[in-house]
Amino acid sequence: MNNENLENYAKEIAAKFSNKIKKSWQDNDELHLDVELNEMQKICDHVYKNLNARLATIICSDERKNTGSFVIRYVFEKGSAFIFVIVSTNDSFPSIASSVPAAALYEREIRDMFGLIPAGSPDERPLVLHEHWPDGIFPLRKEFELGTKAKRQEKDYPFLRVQGEGICEIPVGPVHAGIIEPGHFRFSVMGENIINLETRLFYTHKGIEKLAESMRIDDALLLSERISGDESVANSSAFCQAIEKIARVDVPRRAKKIRTIFGELERIYNHMGTLAGISTDASFPFGAARLNILKERMMRLNESLSGSRILFGVNRIGGVRCDITDENKKLILETLNQTAGDFDKIMVLLRSKSSFMDRLRGTGTIPRKVAHDLGIVGISARSAGIDVDTRYDHPYADYDLHNHRTPQELMKHEIEMEKRTGDALARFEIRAQEVRDSIGIVGKSLDLEDGSLFASVPERLESFRSSLGWAESHRGQTLHWVMTGEDNSIFRYKIRTASFCNWPAIEQAVSNDIVPDFPLVNKSLDLSYSGNDL
Amino acid sequence: MIKATRKGIMGNGIETAKDLTDSLSSKSYRGSVTFASEPADEQRKMLEEICPTKALFSVRESNVMGLDNGKCIMCGYCGEAAKIIKISNKPVPPARMRGQIIGYSSTKFSQEKSYEQIGNELKGKIQKMFGRSLSIRQVDAGSCNGCEIEIAALNNPVYDIERFGIHFVASPRHADVLLVTGPASRNMEIALLRTYEATPNPKIVIAVGACACSGGIFGDTYATTGGIDKIVPVDVYIPGCPPRPEVLLQGLLLAINRIPHDGSS
Repeated sequence: MNNENLENYAKEIAAKFSNKIKKSWQDNDELHLDVELNEMQKICDHVYKNLNARLATIICSDERKNTGSFVIRYVFEKGSAFIFVIVSTNDSFPSIASSVPAAALYEREIRDMFGLIPAGSPDERPLVLHEHWPDGIFPLRKEFELGTKAKRQEKDYPFLRVQGEGICEIPVGPVHAGIIEPGHFRFSVMGENIINLETRLFYTHKGIEKLAESMRIDDALLLSERISGDESVANSSAFCQAIEKIARVDVPRRAKKIRTIFGELERIYNHMGTLAGISTDASFPFGAARLNILKERMMRLNESLSGSRILFGVNRIGGVRCDITDENKKLILETLNQTAGDFDKIMVLLRSKSSFMDRLRGTGTIPRKVAHDLGIVGISARSAGIDVDTRYDHPYADYDLHNHRTPQELMKHEIEMEKRTGDALARFEIRAQEVRDSIGIVGKSLDLEDGSLFASVPERLESFRSSLGWAESHRGQTLHWVMTGEDNSIFRYKIRTASFCNWPAIEQAVSNDIVPDFPLVNKSLDLSYSGNDL
Repeated sequence: MIKATRKGIMGNGIETAKDLTDSLSSKSYRGSVTFASEPADEQRKMLEEICPTKALFSVRESNVMGLDNGKCIMCGYCGEAAKIIKISNKPVPPARMRGQIIGYSSTKFSQEKSYEQIGNELKGKIQKMFGRSLSIRQVDAGSCNGCEIEIAALNNPVYDIERFGIHFVASPRHADVLLVTGPASRNMEIALLRTYEATPNPKIVIAVGACACSGGIFGDTYATTGGIDKIVPVDVYIPGCPPRPEVLLQGLLLAINRIPHDGSS
């Protein structure tokens, strides 16, 4: 079914741009179009506007040794298909940010890391490498040594300045007041109202993509778990799937089910943490305390099952590392039953507090148009009425079994989607609903088939093959692209987590809200700094 | 497991961890790497090769294998590769010197005190030394947010660290202790240094997790500095990936013992 779709897209694009496409081929769910650099803008425009595809990521890689130039892949997501528009360049490439707004951040990233210039880009400031980084050194180029210690330079970062009578600037961070990750926020306020917010991130940039290129595949798997500690299962599943596709390995059904179970357990404990955070930030610590008890309970369940409280070490290439025994099944069911009941009671309490609900209603609204233009994913997108969920759009692990809706349910779902308002309350309610759904999915997945935990993986992987892997973390879609190099090495590992897509949304969400609501909006969007900064 | 209190989640029952059995790590927890016997020559070589963070190393000119817990991320790859390695559920205790968290194939770890015992000992010491509570500022210097989850767990009703007179404050100017996580990314270097300078004396710096101790899996690259002791002086190292809440509390106790009575630092 999927291949048919790809075929249609391929035909449609070929009909319009037949002589502009140098080469086109299909691989799994991916349609690759190798195009001329100067025609790329038009083709991307067509795919984005006429096919109504979402920009999923832009991948650049330094393939000068193989093909003589840098290769940039624009990846669009359309239904269950991924459309790659591929160009080669050696110095600059046309910017598509004016017609595809979501592309702006990727283009800035490519300029920092590869030194290629996006011609006509609306924002020419650095992104990943801060102002102390010297000009002319580009970490993801192949000649750059991983251990290079660049000399610091003195420079200032030009923030956007809002001017006018009564406008005040509030700089916040990178070290914040709570136990959270670092990032800088520059508020321009008029009284209490936020006129403009500018985020400056990448304080936790650890060079993960470059580091992976020096690692064995098994070690890179550990690295992928640590992209963002709380989404370890989602990120490692995505990485494993990319490698499994390259190696053409079929994961046993049992392993797929176990991946599903751990993926959902991760979602449950994180959603509880986020709901607790929302409760704290809306000044209702009682609800937060109760939810945190449930989160701790789930983390202890994680530990009994996987040996790690935050589910490190679940996945391996070809399957999973930890089994779920009959004894474990009983433990899971007991804990989840108890937790589900308690969770409902807390939700009833929270919903009955008008001061709490008022704080959320209409706060941090993301309009649907904005959500669409920025290409946001996960709960933030669903709260704005955009129906994206990688678990069902691109079923992985065992999710093809959970994707059945009756026509009536489908209709109900669509009406529900239309009603969503994109505010903090919508995100709160969707999260609460997802906790219940996840508990259901875990319950259904517990009827494990007999079979091995992992399939054997060939000793040697084909070199210079590439593939996408994906998963839906509790934040949204995480998309990993791996290209193998010689001798089982990794040539390029491009990671795009949900946070990278969703961070720009916060600048839009808080405009016209008041400063004290910012922590609440931030928590309701549940963004990872580490997952964004890599 | 946490026992359900009689009144359920909305009632006034007590959820806080009291004795050792409350917070004991489950059997499957990956807490530390132990050696069942001395590894042979070729085994040492194989183990060195397999360890992703180079935590396992051969001690030169001897038959002993070293294990740098400051680097170990508890992936368990060594346990899967060699039978003589056992993954124990006992976490590695924190230490004051970087060298003290390096174990050898002969060392054994044990945790003899319960969470509450450690907490109460700490409470007494804080009282004696400060006559008030202890204030902590947490600084993330590039962590993956795993350590933050565990530090935040200290504040939940189960661990409830405030009952021991310890609380987290919003500014380094109010803090006695800096709890630093992450491999110290280059982009956080200056912010970390400024936070340290803004903290009044006497101050204590605690490196939390394998990354803060040694760079962990992120190592020492163009974007990281390979451990926070390259930037600020560290008083206590807490190994683990991430360290459990009990171990964090143990680390705090160790740190308090380090503050000189005359207040100079």
